[in-house]
Amino acid sequence: MKRWHRYALGLSLGLATGGALAWHATGTGFRQGSVHNGVWSTSLGYGTKSGDALTRAAVARRGLLALPQTETVYWAASTDSQGAPLDGSCTYRLSGRAIDSRWWSVTLYDAEGYLMANKANIWSFSSASLGKGDGPDWRVTISPDAPDGGHWLPSVRGKSFELTLRMYNPGAAFRANMAGAPLPVLVKEACA
Amino acid sequence: MKTWLGPVAAALLAGVAGWYGVLALSTFGLMEAAIQRVSQDYGMNTMRYGTLPTPTNQPIVRPSPDLAYSTCPYDLAKGPVLVSVTPVPGRYTSLSVFDARTDVAFVRNDLQAGGKPFDVVLAREGQAVPAGKEVVRLGYDRGIALIRLLLNAPGEIEALDTIRRQSTCRSLGG
Repeated sequence: MKRWHRYALGLSLGLATGGALAWHATGTGFRQGSVHNGVWSTSLGYGTKSGDALTRAAVARRGLLALPQTETVYWAASTDSQGAPLDGSCTYRLSGRAIDSRWWSVTLYDAEGYLMANKANIWSFSSASLGKGDGPDWRVTISPDAPDGGHWLPSVRGKSFELTLRMYNPGAAFRANMAGAPLPVLVKEACA
Repeated sequence: MKTWLGPVAAALLAGVAGWYGVLALSTFGLMEAAIQRVSQDYGMNTMRYGTLPTPTNQPIVRPSPDLAYSTCPYDLAKGPVLVSVTPVPGRYTSLSVFDARTDVAFVRNDLQAGGKPFDVVLAREGQAVPAGKEVVRLGYDRGIALIRLLLNAPGEIEALDTIRRQSTCRSLGG
């Protein structure tokens, strides 16, 4: 093999490997947030000039036009409390109390970050979904079929999914302790 | 073996270049793709009042189905752009300005604005701007100004559409 062949091979392999690793990393960037709280994770760098190159590229790919955490905190969950990937064929219980923000919502996306069609045309559960009968504690069932009663966030049978918890105008107390603040708890109840 | 030391070193350097190259291309490329998508119907420097995101209407990844998005894809090449925002009373409304690198250059919500309309001029360094206007200086020509309007239920959009359409953007260039 000639000398320039070796260099060409090294450069090609290096470029391809570095590029492929970067692309793979941007696809999992939301799971590698710098703040973790239960099943949820987030980064303090979304949308800011201080965000590192990987965070910026990951947000561009999986959450373009995200607001900085001073305005909105975006929590992502792709596994249940036991660490298993979220499965649209299973039934989950998501429960919690009041969340320290002006408004909050939990939205269900596919693994690429897009809404999935369902017969109920329901893609999120928010603070506006709560009624007078909910009291301080609330609970929503995430499942492919409607539960017998209570709030429902439909999943799609056979499809993995991710959840995004948005907190608009988070409270000062919450922002001072994001890793320890109370957030909704996600528990798998059964799988079909 | 010595004959491979140089190529291996070159491979490592190329790997670092590939890593950062793809990150930069992802950032600028995906933002430009988003600008192209939201400008394809009405062009640049014009507010597009989007319908609520659904599985068949997702111009941007990870949209919130609870928000009505109005987008102004801007281009400062021919001059500054004026963005006028009219908050909807009692509803979370915010303006955020993103540059070509996806950085947020400006954010203001309805509470910070005291619930009142406000204007912001987007401009490059050195561009002349109207006196008395709040100015956001940007490092790139192109980007997206985005207005989020929170709905308690999808059906609210019809009642709130008239007031949200009072928010506009337009070029101040020649």
